[in-house]
Amino acid sequence: MKNKTYNKKKILVVFLFCFFIILVLIGRLVYLMIFDAEYYQKKAEDLHEREREIKAARGLIVDRNGTVLAANRAVCTISVIHNQITDPETVIRVLSEELDIEESRVRARVEKVSSMEKVKTNVDKEIGDRIRDYDLDGVKVDEDYKRYYPYNELGSKVLGFTGGDNQGIIGLEVKYEEELKGINGTILTMTDARGVELEGVAEDRIEPVAGNTLQISMDYNIQAFAQQAALKVLEEKEADSVSILLMNPQNGEILAMVNVPEFNLNEPFELNTEMAGRTVSDEEKQDLLNQMWRNGCINDTYEPGSTFKVITASACLEEGVVKLEDTFSCPGYRIVEDRKIRCHKVGGHGAETFVQGIQNSCNPVFIDIGLRLGSDKFYEYFRQFGLLGMTGVDLPGEAGTIMHKKENIGLVELATMSFGQSFQVTPMQMATTVSSLVNGGRRVTPHFGVAVLDQKGEEVKRFQYETKEGIVSEKTSATMRMLLESVVSEGSGKNAYLEGYHIGGKTATSQTLPRSAHKYISSFIGFAPAENPQVLGMVVIHNPQGIYYGGTIAAPVLRDIFDNVLPYLGIDKDKSSMAENAGES
Amino acid sequence: MESPKKKRHYDYTLLVVVVILAVIGLILLYSTSTYNGQVKFHDSFYYLKKQGFATLLGFTGMLIIANIDYHKWIPFAVPGYLVAVVLSVTVLFIGDEYNGSKRWLSLGPFSFQPSEFAKVALILFLAWFVTKNVKKMGEIRMLMLTLLPVLPIIGLVGASNLSTAIIILGIAGVLIFVASPKYAQFIWMGVAGVGFLAIFLALESYRLERLAIWRNPEQYEKGYQTLQGLYAIGSGGLFGRGLGESVQKLGFLPEAQNDMIFSIICEELGLFGAGFLLILFLILIWRFFVIATHAKDLFGALIATGAMAHMMIQVILNIAVVTNSIPNTGITLPFISYGGTSVVFLLFEMGLVLSVSNLVEWKQGK
Repeated sequence: MKNKTYNKKKILVVFLFCFFIILVLIGRLVYLMIFDAEYYQKKAEDLHEREREIKAARGLIVDRNGTVLAANRAVCTISVIHNQITDPETVIRVLSEELDIEESRVRARVEKVSSMEKVKTNVDKEIGDRIRDYDLDGVKVDEDYKRYYPYNELGSKVLGFTGGDNQGIIGLEVKYEEELKGINGTILTMTDARGVELEGVAEDRIEPVAGNTLQISMDYNIQAFAQQAALKVLEEKEADSVSILLMNPQNGEILAMVNVPEFNLNEPFELNTEMAGRTVSDEEKQDLLNQMWRNGCINDTYEPGSTFKVITASACLEEGVVKLEDTFSCPGYRIVEDRKIRCHKVGGHGAETFVQGIQNSCNPVFIDIGLRLGSDKFYEYFRQFGLLGMTGVDLPGEAGTIMHKKENIGLVELATMSFGQSFQVTPMQMATTVSSLVNGGRRVTPHFGVAVLDQKGEEVKRFQYETKEGIVSEKTSATMRMLLESVVSEGSGKNAYLEGYHIGGKTATSQTLPRSAHKYISSFIGFAPAENPQVLGMVVIHNPQGIYYGGTIAAPVLRDIFDNVLPYLGIDKDKSSMAENAGES
Repeated sequence: MESPKKKRHYDYTLLVVVVILAVIGLILLYSTSTYNGQVKFHDSFYYLKKQGFATLLGFTGMLIIANIDYHKWIPFAVPGYLVAVVLSVTVLFIGDEYNGSKRWLSLGPFSFQPSEFAKVALILFLAWFVTKNVKKMGEIRMLMLTLLPVLPIIGLVGASNLSTAIIILGIAGVLIFVASPKYAQFIWMGVAGVGFLAIFLALESYRLERLAIWRNPEQYEKGYQTLQGLYAIGSGGLFGRGLGESVQKLGFLPEAQNDMIFSIICEELGLFGAGFLLILFLILIWRFFVIATHAKDLFGALIATGAMAHMMIQVILNIAVVTNSIPNTGITLPFISYGGTSVVFLLFEMGLVLSVSNLVEWKQGK
C-alpha cells in the first residue's frame, strides 16, 4: 500500500497541530518563569526557610554607682525537630534524664508533628553541652541568655525577674521592658521538607541588638545595709514583714526599698517561707508566689496612723487654723458626736501647746485642729498634697489611696482622719507626701530609673520626672521641719536621735483591721538633716510581737541606718551641735 | 525517484536526538531522585541504577529492532495485540498495587507495566489493520470497526490508569485520522468527544473537584502537588538554580522523579534548560513527521505516525499538567520521568521508527 498524498497532508496537519500546542506551552512556561517567577519564588522561599531566633542579651540594671544588680548568664534552650529524629526512644530517655522532666512530657514534645518544639529553656550551659555531646539527630541546643542576679535577694521586689522568654515579670524588669529587652535576631536557614538544614546554602543572619543598661537610683550599699537592718528587726520582733524606704526628698530618687522577707531572684518560683517544704496545689502555690512577690511599699496600703499627723499639721498651719502657741487640753479622750475617741496616753496629756501636742503625738490635739479645718478644707488639702492620686513611682502595680467619699466625711470620720485612721495609703505615698511637706512644698515623683546607657556606658537617655510646686508654702514647710526635729530631739521620736545630726521625724503605731485581732503596724518617718533634708527614710514593721510602739521599735531602726548612711552620703555631723551637747553633759 | 544515487541509512538526526534525550534523562533523573533515593532506600543511586539498566536494555533492543525490516513484524501484529489484552487482564487480578493503582506485574526482581507494552502493540496492530483496510477508511462503518479492537484495551488499561487509556485513544484517533481521506467526520467526532468528556467529568464529583483544584490550586489540599510544581517552576527563572540545586525535590514535591520531573528541570536549569528540552522533543516529533511522510509504504508511515502521536500526546499532556494548564492527570514525560518499562518500550518503538527510516529512499541533496 502506498503512502498517499492525503495521508501525508494529514500527517502534516497533525504535526502542525502538535507544533502549535508546544509553542503555546512554551509561551505558558515563559509566563510562569518570568512574569510569575517572583510570586512563586517568594512562596517557595517562605516554604524552605526556617527562622531561628537569636535571643538578644537583656540590658543590665546597675545601681547609681554602676554596681551590676541584674546581669545575664549563658544558658541553653533545648528543642526537638520532629522529622529529624531518628531514634525517638533514646531522645526521650536522654532528655528526660538530663533535663529532669517526666518522660511523658518529653514524649509529648518529641511526638508532636511540628517544625520545632521547645523542650526546655534556661538550661544550664553544662547540661546543654552534655546534651550536645550525645549528638542526637533532631535535638537542637541553642545558646542564649538567662537573667542572673548577682546579689540573689537584694531588692528582689524592686528589680523583679524575667520569665522563660526573658520577658520581665515583676518590678523594674517589667517597667523598663522596652529599654532592657533589646531586639532579637534571626537566623534564616534553608531546609528540606523534613526540616533538615541544607549544607552549603548561605544562611541569612540578622544579628540581635542587646538591650540597653538601666541605671537606677538605688545604692547597693544602702540597700544592703537597710536590708540587714530590716532583717534584724524582723527577727527580733518576730514581725510578719518589714519595709524600709529611703529616698531623696529633694528630687524623688529612691536610694533603697526593702521589703523583707525578700526572695531569691534567681529562684523566683521557689517559696521563701515555711510553706516551701509543704506540698500545695498549683493554684495555692501561685497565690503564695504572688504574695511573696508583692512589694509592700507600693502594692499594699495601710492606715498610716500618727505619721499622718505631719500632714494634718501642715494643712492646718497652711490654712492658719492653728498657731504653734495655741493651747489644748487632753483628758485622754475626746468625744466627737456620740463617739469617745481615745488618746494613746490613757491618763491624758493635760494642758499642752500645739508644739507639745505634736511632740506627744496627742490625738485630741489633732482632732481639735482637724475639726477646726473642717471636712471640705481637709479634703481639699488631701487632694492638694497629692494623696488622692498615685505617686507615679516607676514600679508596676502601685495601689491607690482608699479614702472616704467627700460627702461621707462626717465629724467622726474627720476626727479619725486627723490622726491617720479610717483611710489607707501606701508607704510610698506617705514618704512622698512627707517629702514634699519638708522640702519646701515641692511634690516630687519618687523613682528608680535615672538613665539609659548603651553598651559602652554612654548615656542614651535621662529620665525626667514631674514635680509640682506650691504644695505648701515655704514658711509652713520650714515650720514642719522645725516641729518634726523637736519630735525627735524632745518628743516621741527620741529613739531616732542621733548625736551630731539634726533629724526630723514622726512615729506611728496603728492597729490593723479588724481591731479585734490586736495586730499592729509600727512605723517611723524621719529625715535628715532637718533644716535641709537630703534623705528621707521610712520604716514600717508589720505585726511585731511584744512591744509594738513605733517610737520604741521603728525609730531606732532608722537611727541605725542614718548613723551609717548619712556619713556614707557625705552629710557631715554638725560640729556646733556636738560641742553644744558636749557642753551640756 | 529512479536515481541511481539512492542511499539507504537510518535517520541519524532521530538517533542522535534519542541518544541525547536518554542521556539527559538519566542525568536529570539522578539529580531529581537522589534525595528520595537516600530517604527511602538509603541509596542515592537507587533510581538511577534501575533506570540505567532499563535504558541499556532499551538501547540494545532498539538497535536490534532498527536492523530488522519492520515488515517482518506484520505476523506479530495480531498476537501482540492479544498478548496486550491478556496482560492487561492479568494485571487487574495479580498486579502489584502502588499508590492505590494496580499497574505492575512482578517477574522476579523485575516489575513490568503492561500498559506501556500495550501502546507499542497497539501502534503495530493498528498500522497493520488500517493498511489492510485503507480503501474503506473513508466509511464511517470502517472507522467504527477500526476503533472496535481498541476499546477493550482502553477499557482494561483505563480501569487502573486513565491517563494511559487517554494516550492510547489519542494514538488510535491520530492513526485513523491519517488513514482516512476525509476531514468533516473527524470534526464531528471531535465535537462528540468533547461532549462525552463533559458528561464523563460531570458523572463523578471528584473529577469536577479536579477541575476546581486546577482553577485554584492554592485553595485545595489536593492542589499541593500542583502548587509545589509551580513553586519549582517559578523558582527557576531564566537560568535556574543550577543542576542538582533544586530545593523543591527535597521532599517538598512528592515523588519528584515521576510525573512532575519537568518542574524540577525548570527549577534547576531555568527557562533556557526547559526550553532546550522542549525543542529536543520538537525535533524528535519533527523527525517522526519527516519519516512518516517519506516512508516507503503506508504501513511504515503509520508506524512513524503512531510513534509521533504517542510522543506528542505524552509530552504535551505532561507539560500542560506541570504548568497547570490542564487539570492534573498522571502522565510521565518520555525518556525523563522515572519508569523502566516506559523507557524500554519507548526505545523499542524508536527502533521500529528507525527501521522505517532505514527503508526511506533519501534523495541526495535534499
